[in-house]
Amino acid sequence: MTVDRVSGAFLVLLGLLVVWERRVLPLGTASRPGPGYVPLILALLLVIFGVILIAQGKGSKPLRSLSWDEAPHAAAILGCCLFISVLLETIGYRVTMLIVMGFLFGVMERIKWWLALMLTIGFSFGTFWLFDTLLRVPLPRGGWGF
Amino acid sequence: MESIFQNLLLGFATVFTPTNLMYSFLGCLIGTMVGVLPGVGPLAGISMLLPTTFGLQPTSAIILLAGIYYGAMYGGSTTSILMRIPGEAASVITCIDGYAMARKGRAGPALSIAAIGSFIAGTLSVFGLMFLAPTLASFALGFGPPEYFCLLVCGLVVLSYMTGGSIVKNLAMICLGLLAGMIGIDQMSGYFRFSYGVTALGDGIGLVPVAVGLFGIAEILATAGSQDIREVLKPRLRDLLPSRQELKDSIGPIGRGTVLGFLIGIIPGSAHIISTFVAYAVERRLSKHPERFGEGAIEGVAGPESANNAASQGALVPMLALGVPTGAIPAVLLASLMVHGITPGPLFIKERPDIFWGLIASMYVGNTVLLILNLPMVGVFVNFLRIPYRILYPIILLFCLVGVYAVNSSIIDVVIMSVMGLLGYLLRKLDFETAPLVLGVVLAPIMEFSFRQALAMSGGMYVIFIERPISATFLGLALLMILLGLKPLFFKKKDWRERLTEAEKGG
Repeated sequence: MTVDRVSGAFLVLLGLLVVWERRVLPLGTASRPGPGYVPLILALLLVIFGVILIAQGKGSKPLRSLSWDEAPHAAAILGCCLFISVLLETIGYRVTMLIVMGFLFGVMERIKWWLALMLTIGFSFGTFWLFDTLLRVPLPRGGWGF
Repeated sequence: MESIFQNLLLGFATVFTPTNLMYSFLGCLIGTMVGVLPGVGPLAGISMLLPTTFGLQPTSAIILLAGIYYGAMYGGSTTSILMRIPGEAASVITCIDGYAMARKGRAGPALSIAAIGSFIAGTLSVFGLMFLAPTLASFALGFGPPEYFCLLVCGLVVLSYMTGGSIVKNLAMICLGLLAGMIGIDQMSGYFRFSYGVTALGDGIGLVPVAVGLFGIAEILATAGSQDIREVLKPRLRDLLPSRQELKDSIGPIGRGTVLGFLIGIIPGSAHIISTFVAYAVERRLSKHPERFGEGAIEGVAGPESANNAASQGALVPMLALGVPTGAIPAVLLASLMVHGITPGPLFIKERPDIFWGLIASMYVGNTVLLILNLPMVGVFVNFLRIPYRILYPIILLFCLVGVYAVNSSIIDVVIMSVMGLLGYLLRKLDFETAPLVLGVVLAPIMEFSFRQALAMSGGMYVIFIERPISATFLGLALLMILLGLKPLFFKKKDWRERLTEAEKGG
């Protein structure tokens, strides 16, 4: 399996999914195109480009040649993003950032504990002060007002 | 001519307030830092800092953001010369002769010629922008929906051709971006599209979370965990000034780089990157000693660095005059203007001369600030390069998060940013370019609106797009680009686009 063929298959599936999901939107006519008209054209174009990629993808690099060395780090960072998305408005910006920065500096990167602590506290509270207090960009405070 | 200078005076009157001068300085300083730090490109930098401009006057906001943009173009050269790592993609070519000069103990002159060349190119290009943008805007006032739609199609197709990589993949990315840009309420019928009951998606998915996700988060995901320890050559500041011969050798390349860069900058696509390659090739071709290139020729620094800065100003011409961004960075600048209730386009220069001419004047000020900033403070910026990436990336992540959340105080935007980050990471793995996707998101509403309006005008006859001369010309150009882009499918010989892609990846 090559990279281009996998990409092409993904595009075809995505295009077909959009065609399916579009069915609830009126298509209209050519003289009065409805909200589903342009999405349908784009979805069909995606399918066409996907088919071209599958057809010409024989010579592209094999999928197994891709290196995934950074994947554990990437997964941890995405986990942090998920954590932030779920808890930011519940426990507040400063506490969320203390946990996330502490995890990234202390657990993932294993930098010296005092430096990790300094950076974690400095950036969690410093950016809150910069954006919320100084620039008046409201950041969430969490249930207990902190 | 007289009115242009009167307007420029208005611009200077707008800029020469202590507040705006401070924002110009601040923008240039942040931009230089963004350009110096590998992994934080100008696009992610502008997107992250966009919310900090919400409380500002529109003129101050655009002055700050434009300062970041051309500051990053300046700053990118520092890492290229001292570390052989381009701070941003347009500085790839500077690595060759800039680093070779640094190895020979001539880092100072290389840095100062890069700064002087960028200053001259930046200043002269603003002159071009000043004359060309109002003329283009007057011409575009006669455009109807069919012309506007065909102009956008042409712009997007030219972008997919000029970006490098597979044109089929680039076109697919544009379609994906356009589809993503259609999420939310349809402006003509009021229907909710692809929002699955999430009210926050009513206004669409927003450019900032998409841009920060695809460029900021995806970069972190792809590079975190790398243990690269690179050598940073220390410039000797007392040797900063170039010799008389080096100055003489640089005059021609700076002039040619400026003209080439500005003209190429107007074209959609990776114009600022392409302009550096073209400038380097031209200088090598014109040189009496082409064998010096690669071994530390000052012309190999002066030409590309001037071209790269001229191109960044040239890219603002279609954005300001037509409301059509030619790349992902102008697209974010366009979005930032829209946040402040300003819609760039043919009427913008007439309706908001204070902002347009204020921006132009701020560029003159900004270029001077950058020259003053880059040379004496190079030692300070070099220290940024010593920060290990494992300390840097959590901080970048934090700024990405604050930047995205602060736009609408919406957690949905953080979710979109994370999803886009993952998508951008996977797309990189599969050799897709993400800039066309961002542009698709920005242009989707106006493109669909023009398309549907044009069809309504013609009673459903598609022939309207080819029977009007301007729209037919745009479509003809788009078709030509598609045919050129498909050439590699039939002929196996490597073309310049493949070499550009290789160089970008190498960078």
